[in-house]
Formats: sequence, C-alpha cells, structure tokens
Amino acid sequence: MSAVLQYTVQGLAAGSFYALAALGLAVIFGVLGVVNFAHGAFYMLGAVAAAVLLDTLGLSLWGALIVVPLLMLVFGMLVERLLVQWLLPLDPLYNLLLTFGLTLLLVDLVKRRYGVSGLPYERPSALSGRVEVGGVGLPVYQLFVIGVALLVCLGVWLLMTRTRVGMIVRAATERPELAGALGINVGRWVTPVFGFGVALAGLAGVLAAPFRAITAEMGSDFIIILFAVVVIGGLGSIVGAVVGGFLVGLVEAFGQAYAPTFAQVLIFVLMAVVVLARPAGLFGREEATA
Amino acid sequence: MKKRRTAATASMVMAGVLVTAGCGAGGPSAGGGDFTDDKVVLALLNDASGVYKDVSGPNSKIAIQMAIDDYQEKYGDDAVVDDIEVISADHQNEPDIANTKAQELYDREGADVILDVPTSSAALAVATQAKNKKKVYINIGAGTTELTGAQCNKYTFHYAYDTWMLANGTGTVVTEEGDKNWQLIYPDYAFGQDMVKSFTGAIEAGGGKVAGTIATPFPNDNFATYITKAGAAKPQVIGTMHAGGDLINLVKQYNESGLKDQGIDLAVGLMFISDIHSLGVEAFEGTIFTDAWYWNLDEKSREWADRFMEETGDRPTYAHAGNYSAALQYLEAVQAAGTDDADKVVEELEGKKIDDMFLRNGEIRAEDHQVIHDVYLARVKGPADVKEDWDYEEIIKTIPAEEAFRPASESGCSM
Amino acid sequence: MLEIENLSAWYGEAQALREATLSVGAGEVVTLVGRNGAGKTTLVRCLMGLHRHLTGSVWLDGRDITSLPAHRRARAGLGWVQDDRGIFANLSVEENLLLPPRVSESAWTLEQVYDAFPALGIRRRAGGTTLSGGEQQMLAVARVLRTGARVLLLDEPSEGLAPVIVAQIGEIVRTAKQSGIGVLLIEQNVRFAATVADRHYLLAQGRLVESLDNDEFVERQDELLEHLGI
Repeated sequence: MSAVLQYTVQGLAAGSFYALAALGLAVIFGVLGVVNFAHGAFYMLGAVAAAVLLDTLGLSLWGALIVVPLLMLVFGMLVERLLVQWLLPLDPLYNLLLTFGLTLLLVDLVKRRYGVSGLPYERPSALSGRVEVGGVGLPVYQLFVIGVALLVCLGVWLLMTRTRVGMIVRAATERPELAGALGINVGRWVTPVFGFGVALAGLAGVLAAPFRAITAEMGSDFIIILFAVVVIGGLGSIVGAVVGGFLVGLVEAFGQAYAPTFAQVLIFVLMAVVVLARPAGLFGREEATA
Repeated sequence: MKKRRTAATASMVMAGVLVTAGCGAGGPSAGGGDFTDDKVVLALLNDASGVYKDVSGPNSKIAIQMAIDDYQEKYGDDAVVDDIEVISADHQNEPDIANTKAQELYDREGADVILDVPTSSAALAVATQAKNKKKVYINIGAGTTELTGAQCNKYTFHYAYDTWMLANGTGTVVTEEGDKNWQLIYPDYAFGQDMVKSFTGAIEAGGGKVAGTIATPFPNDNFATYITKAGAAKPQVIGTMHAGGDLINLVKQYNESGLKDQGIDLAVGLMFISDIHSLGVEAFEGTIFTDAWYWNLDEKSREWADRFMEETGDRPTYAHAGNYSAALQYLEAVQAAGTDDADKVVEELEGKKIDDMFLRNGEIRAEDHQVIHDVYLARVKGPADVKEDWDYEEIIKTIPAEEAFRPASESGCSM
Repeated sequence: MLEIENLSAWYGEAQALREATLSVGAGEVVTLVGRNGAGKTTLVRCLMGLHRHLTGSVWLDGRDITSLPAHRRARAGLGWVQDDRGIFANLSVEENLLLPPRVSESAWTLEQVYDAFPALGIRRRAGGTTLSGGEQQMLAVARVLRTGARVLLLDEPSEGLAPVIVAQIGEIVRTAKQSGIGVLLIEQNVRFAATVADRHYLLAQGRLVESLDNDEFVERQDELLEHLGI
C-alpha cells in the first residue's frame, strides 16, 4: 500500500512536467495550428537557463520560477516573429520542419557552449527532505512540483475560462476564420500565445532542473512522450493536455514498478488504445463538419 | 598532399628493392630509421560532440600533443623521428562511422596508430580494421573485455580499463567490506548486460549475492520508481550500470528517494570525474566507484594535471591521462624499434613493464595485450572535504595491478 | 451604404463571380437569390475579406474596404451571420454574444438581447452549441446586433428551421430595418424573402442576371421557384 502511494506521487511528479509542457504545446497548436517540435528544446532551455542563472547570478529556484518563464516568453515571441510567422500561411508541415531544425540548432548551441556532461543544480534546502504521510516518506520536492503544476494549470484554466483573453483564445482555437470575421484580430494574439506556450515549456524545465540531468539532450526523449500526451488528451485540448500529462506520468511510474522493461512502451500502448477508441483523443472534439 | 604521398610510397618501394645501396630517397629522418612518409602520425578517434565528449573528446588531442612534446624534449637530437603529428576524427559513437574513419585514418591520412575509441561496438569495429591493415591500435575509452578476449588481435591493445576491472573493483571490494546484499539497475543494452554479468560474478566471488536486477530503457530520464522498487527489497547497496546523462538522472533521483538515509548505499559501475564535476559533489557524496587513475594521486600525476589544466582549463579524466600515456609509450616503442613499422613496434610493446604518470606497476601483457596497472577504489568526498576545484575523490583502496584485471588465462584470447 | 462594384472572383482558374454590381441602402433589405453554386457564398466571402482572389471594389459608408482584413471589416460595421450559424462550442451563450467587439453606438445591450430573445437569457451559461438549431440562429443574429453592425449579411437564416422560427427571424429583420440597418439576405426560401425584402437580385452562374422590386418578385414567384429548382 505504501509503495502504491509512493508510485502515485512519483507518477504525478513526472506527470507535472508533461502536463505543463503539453499545455503549452496544446495552446500553440490550437491557435497557430503549429505542431511545435521545438517544445522539447524549449524545456531543455528552461532547465539550462535555471542552472546558468544559479551559477552566474546566484538566482535560486524561487527566482528562476519567475524569471526563466519570462525570458522564455520573450524568446518564444521572437521565434514566432522572426521565423514561425513566415510559414504560417503554408502547409503546417513547413513549421514542423522549421521547429525540428530549430531543435537541432538549439541542442548543438547548448552543447557547444555548456558541453555534454550536464550542469549542476542545487535546490533550496526548504525543498529537500521528506514528509511522513501514513508512514511513508514522500520527497518534499516531488510534492512541490505537483503543487506548482496544479496551481499553474488552475491559473491557466481560470485565464482561459474567466477572462476576455481566454475567450478570444478559445474562439480563435476553435474557428480562427470566423473569429476574424467577427472582428477579432486573431493575428495579434498569435505571437503572445506562442510565447506563452514556450514559457510553459520553460517552466517545466525549471522544475525539472533539480531532479533531472540538465543536458542539451534532455528534451529529445521528452518531446516524444509529449506528443503521446497530446494525442492521448486530444490535440489542441487544454483539459486534455493536463489530464493526459498526469495520466502518462502515472502509467510510466506504475509501468516502472510492475513491468520495468516496458515502462515506456506502455505509454505508446495507451496512446494506441485511445486513438483506436477515440481518434480525437480523450478530450478532443471531432472536426465540426459545416 | 596526395602527390607527395605517392612520391613517398614510390621511394619506399625503391628503397626496398635497392636494399643495400642506402639510396637516400627517404631523406631527412634523423636516426636513419625506417619511417613511412618520414613521419609518425598519431590518430585520435573518439566522440568529439556527443555524450562522451567531456570524458575524453578534443582534450585528448591536447594530451597526445603533450606526449609528443615530452618525447621530443626527452630525446632531442637523438629522436629517431623528427616529424610527429597528431590528427583526430569524430566517430559519433557509431560503429559504422568508426569503421569508415579508421580505414580513412590508416589508409589516406597515414596514421601509424589509432588511439582512444570509446563505445564498445565502435572499439571492436576499429580492432578489426587494425587487424586487417596490420596497424597499431591502442584503445583507452571503451569498456568491452572482448578487445582482449575472443576478438583480440596482434595489433590491438587495451590500455586503461574494462568492465571486468570495474566490476572486480567495485563489486568485490564493496561486498568484502560488508555490503553483501545487492540490487542492480542497468540500461538494457549490450554494455549494461555485460556489466551486470561481470558484477554478479565479482559480487558472488566476494561472498555476496545479487538479490534482484532491474533493466531500464535506454536512454531514460525518469528512474524514481525503479529506485523505489530496488529500495523496497531492502538491499544493503544498489549498483547502477548507467553512464552519462542517465547516470546523472539516476543519482539525482536516488538522492531524492531518501534511501541514503535508510543506509542503502549507491555503487556506480562506470563513472568519470567529469560526471562529478558536472553534477557537483553534493549529489554524488559517498558514492563508491572504481577509478583507473585520479589526477591528485601523487606529485607525479598532479604535476601532469597542472600542465593539462594550463592547456585546457580543466582537470584531466583518466581517459585524458590514458591517451597521454599510451601516446608516450607508443613513441618510446618507436624510439626503441627505430621504425614505425607496426610489427616491430608491437614487438617492443609486448611484455613491456612501465611505470609512468598514468600506469603504476604497469605491464603490457603479451598474451592478450591487456595493459595492467594499479587501479583505485574511490569514494566521492562531501562538500566539506573539498579543498579545491576537482578535489572530489578519496582513494580508499589501491587494487594492485595483478589483481585488478582479468587473468590472461581466462581471457580466451589467441592471437 | 454597402456598394459593390464590378466584383469578379476566381478559384484558381475558375471564375466564380462575374462583374457583380449591387448596393444596399440604409434601412433597406435586399435579397440575393440563386441556386446552389451560383456564387452566393463566394460573394459573401469576398465581402468579408475571406476570399482575396478578386477584382472590383467594395465600399461601406463611402469608404473603400476592398483591401481590409476580415476583422477590420467587422469593426467597420459589417455583421456576418454564417449559413452554419457559426456558434462557438467552446464558448457559452453569453460569451458568444460578448465575443465580437462593439462597433457603433447603436449596439444592443445584453438586456436588450435577452428581452428580445428570452430563450438565450435562460440558457446564457450553457455551451453555445447545446442550443437547438432555431436558438442558435437567434444567437447568431443577436450576436451581430449586439455589436451595432450597420450592415448585416444573413446567409440562409431560414434554412432548416420551423415556420414559427422563420417568422420570428422575419420579425427581427424588420426591426433591424426600422433602426436603419441595411440587410443583405442570401436566401433560397423565396416566400420568406418576399415577406421581408425591398429589392431582389437574381444570381446565376456568377452573374447578376436580374434586379427586381418586391412587387415584380411576388408576381414572378412561380417562375423564380422553378429557376431555383425548388
């Protein structure tokens, strides 16, 4: 029983990274129709930025949780303005290729600058250690990660459902042309939304820094799992991204516990089952036929 | 370039035909020896951009250049060859690329010896080329025992470490010191499986037992539940066979798990000082592993490490030191043979006893070309004990050369 | 108010609209009648700036809007009600109403909308597409009225609706007309068109073939019905 509790916390902690990053991926896909392959690289940049800021400026995790997503927001907006926007009128495949190329570029630049063995990262002592829950020692940091992820997801949910910005993004996600014809300047929201999605990936990276190896390659496998998450949750669905993220984290943890060699395979089995049963994903909407 | 080489080859053929005449087409070689191209070319073939870049990579080229400088300083005008060059190539840890690059280096670039070659599958591919081309190959970076086992050959030497030596050091010694009950976590591919086999043998020989093994996907970044599961079996020590980024992930998550506080130790199969440097001593504190060499062993190693640091800004790993030592000993053998002819150089190397900055009580075993030397069981220091950058290891035991490596009788090598 | 001059449009090589010229005045209801594929949808998409492969010009309140993007046309006072009603599933009824920005002083308030369409007020929190077809049509019309659009483009508003609802829509159109709003009504329902419109254009094969006032239109109803194949 205690083991199950531990696995659950571990699964939710891993799922937190997936949920946050997938949320960003879903928002970008929804509004721009871009499958952002560089999302894994942005996650990596978030972690690397946290490590570099700690090393050079002594900025702790607390500061990094604020500063790094802001930096990534600006970086994401620049990427959209300078690169992504030019390919938006073309087939979505072009932006997939662009972001794939961008990934290779970013990974190599980080390798060149910071080497391949990874960067050190120390978490604040307040987040070390464990708390006893029903006789089981649960790592404080994992609980912290889950807490932050849930808060951010809740925040994004409120932003999307309770504000005019959220309303516009939802409308633009569903039918961009119609939203435009109703007087919404959809183009104006494209850049900040892309930046926002990138910032979420960066935030996931910061949270991963104390917990994962910070290397140029850390996003390469992450992005593959992330694609599985959004397919399971439903492409472009915000709730789906969050639920899918935590679900995949749990499948991974219980897979590791009960079928160690197949832990990663199980994720893709889950994906296949979902796609067969509900092609649009758990929370995806079937394409409305006019 | 090409024209020059053709001319040189032609002159070699002529020299061979007109044996006695001393027909001076070869020209300038100082000792009057017999050299292809009138020079010696040392080729470094390793990972210049991927996961093993920091372990060895481009800095090993600097180490080899240091060996050339030392050789030239030592022999001065008495050196049998004046023109010594180091070249390098990136094999990206791919066996097929390593294979092609080795051919290129031997045939087109005129390499007399290939050094380093991490990644076992790539290392074995190059051994085959060395055998076919009859050229010297000294492996430093790879761990496979096959190089001196079933796939050994006359021109291939294995210089620094192998999986048997790691398992013997860490597995046997940790078991003998009281951690008898093991759980092993390993990446599910050739190196990991090889390591588990070696470790199981060593642990059982030391009177311990491996209560369970857990195979993980490779590569992987989430080990939390694997670790919890291994810990749930209440072992005295968990042994991990992961390397590089996976190792760092695993260590971070082991620290998170609280197993350390429960007295469950972590032993690492393969680790380089560059791993500790990148992650910081806090993360690795107390971890036990086997090291082929440590820069701060004594005055001799430290002196060399200072020179290396001046050149590169980093302290050397044992792969850097091993490349230096191998290059130097190769040049010593060339000096003794008076030629870069592979057969004659191999003859000089075989059975040679060496004591240098890297090899302590070293010997190039003639039977299987395993280079044996003292190796060390190390424990990672706590932050409080670190007195300077890179001061990370406490040597808790020196394992004498004759015990550190697999006995030649068990190697299965026949040349 | 809305003037279209020599509007031609193409899909690739195929010409879908040939030099159409028409106008809608303030407080005037004008219908565009034609069978499927005659070019009605193309005309609307050109007006909204969603189809750009065209020649000719579009004027609104004396201002050339031919090269404006869609959202600026909406802000200039064009209110579009799509033939599929264009209700957002991810938005509640009220959010659907509040989404488009107000563009003039004559914009309806939410209270006015709920007074006129009590069903929408009752279900204001429900998801937009959970409404019945008739209610969705009401919502779509109310949405553009709330912006204060000066010219409405109604694309097949009566399609698939019960007669009582159609009558209700006719009522709204008349109300809009009285407040000085110009209406371009795309219709196949000739009987409905005759009850609300002042003038009619007949569109065939991308060309405006005839322009009739309502009396002529009523007189020739049977002939027109036959033409439309209904």
